[in-house]
Amino acid sequence: MSSRVEILNDGGYRSDGRKQYELRDITIDLTPRGSADGSATITHGLTEVLVEVFGPREAKVRSQTMHDRALINVEVSLLPFSASERRKRSRGDKRVLELAAAIKSTFEPVVQTSIYPRSEIDIFVHVLQQDGGLLQAGINATTLALITAGIPMIDFVCAVTGGVYSTSPLLDLTTLEENDTPNVTVAIMPRTKKVTLVSMETRLHVDRFGDVFKLACEAGAVLHQEMKVAVESRTRKLVGAMETGPSIAIPGAERGDRDVYMEDNMNDDF
Amino acid sequence: MMASISKSEKAYIQASLLSSNPLRADGRGLHDYRTVSLETGVAPLANGSARVNFGKAVDEGGGGTEVLAATKLEIEDVKPGEGEEGGRIVCTVTCSPAAYPQLSSNALDELQYDYTTILHQTLSHPSLHPTDLGIIPYKKSWLLNVDLVVLSDAGNIYDALFMSARAALWDTKVPVTRAVQYVPPQSDGARGKTDTEDTMEVEGVGSSSLDTRHMPTASDFELSDYWDEGAPLSGREKWPVCVTLNIHSTAYFLDATLLEEASIPLKLLVVYTFTSPTSSSIQALRLVGPGELQLPQIEKLLQESEPFARQLHTALNTKLKDEDIRRNQKARDRFALRS
Repeated sequence: MSSRVEILNDGGYRSDGRKQYELRDITIDLTPRGSADGSATITHGLTEVLVEVFGPREAKVRSQTMHDRALINVEVSLLPFSASERRKRSRGDKRVLELAAAIKSTFEPVVQTSIYPRSEIDIFVHVLQQDGGLLQAGINATTLALITAGIPMIDFVCAVTGGVYSTSPLLDLTTLEENDTPNVTVAIMPRTKKVTLVSMETRLHVDRFGDVFKLACEAGAVLHQEMKVAVESRTRKLVGAMETGPSIAIPGAERGDRDVYMEDNMNDDF
Repeated sequence: MMASISKSEKAYIQASLLSSNPLRADGRGLHDYRTVSLETGVAPLANGSARVNFGKAVDEGGGGTEVLAATKLEIEDVKPGEGEEGGRIVCTVTCSPAAYPQLSSNALDELQYDYTTILHQTLSHPSLHPTDLGIIPYKKSWLLNVDLVVLSDAGNIYDALFMSARAALWDTKVPVTRAVQYVPPQSDGARGKTDTEDTMEVEGVGSSSLDTRHMPTASDFELSDYWDEGAPLSGREKWPVCVTLNIHSTAYFLDATLLEEASIPLKLLVVYTFTSPTSSSIQALRLVGPGELQLPQIEKLLQESEPFARQLHTALNTKLKDEDIRRNQKARDRFALRS
């Protein structure tokens, strides 16, 4: 499907006014929702994804549990009004299952599942609006939701899509650009400098792949900064709330006989 | 749906409701709602949308029953098995697995089917049908899809579903269309010919409704230039509100939390439409859960529930009008306010 819209014009601007390597606006919302243990909403431009995480908890289906690590269960739902054309996708839809499988395989090596044997971690992904970069938004939101749920991970996972228009690479594609250019989604772990996912459904020339891949890795590092700021500000808020709260007197917590207190004796001596 | 609850907890909740000075765990009166928050226009790609939350924890931002509703219009051909003359309405409720983390996917399907049935039967009734869903008579009409998504359930889901559906339908804008038709310039000879044919075929039928000759012949339509996305759906005052009465022997209360629903499972849903400040009509009535009610008791409940529904209706209308003003405010006015 090709459109008559210019993907990249002579002035070096894309159809939505961005430059070649410019990412879309990101907003991150980490407020808790419902009864979930962790939740995050991320928007990349007009793409909006909400992820809720439950667990680690006892598995719903006992037969699926593993004796040495936790099971990661990912369910994706595309809301019927998320695209411009209304389409209701059932749970068994191929596209939905594929997206869920990609998210699952991305996080399996990152989440420290071996700490929670015989348990389950549920990740529910809701796509509220779609405008390109579904997998990218899903992965970024899942990272944040897992972090807010307090589930230990080796590193952040930051994903971004890259595409190539004739010979010039583009980053963070919209639906329009996704339809017209070969594109690849890359998920990186910024601290350990590893890649956990590379997914490409279109054909791309080998000579171009290296450029896009390198660019996407750099963009992932930029996303990492944004995500880190959001996580840190939430943690700071929580710590602040803990300090302002009423101090609770615990009975029996007074000075014990054998307690050793490190006192500041500097001034006594001199 | 059911929160796990111990026998003593259950007895405690039931006994405190029946005491002379009824108490609820969160300090509300029997007929008080939790804080309701509502926002319209949450889905930019829908024709109308709303998000409703009952009992969000103000400090933490979490908790509460949350429903997202959106309407989407599609064009349909009027044919047997497809569209209907004057358009049709289809409601679908989807439950997020995050709202019911303890349910299996089959149980979840059944639950959302139950919700869908109640919503669809009530909202697609002819007495509520908007008049502006037709495009070309006998040819094309709008299909109005109302999609509701339960994001989390913390009790009183039916009221939240109906309220979000009403808000989304209120917010719905129908694109303005105009039927177009090619009328060939008529020559005298041609007219003479059709006249003779008419008189030959049908005699004396005249202006009977069976006369198919006067059927509108427009075959296509165009979207006319309009200053907005469209005109508001007609009859939006009529969309109903639901009040759920949770009944425990002689007492009843509104807006139950999950624990209260688990200990008092008998519910009476009453769906009202208010056409004027004085008159009201019941659009749906449903007794959910195990238990029975005497006929006089139902009459009493119906009488007493009407004022609650009216209050809810008034409050909702006020809020929806506020939202209309908020969203239609011009950007330059918003900037003026900010500076």
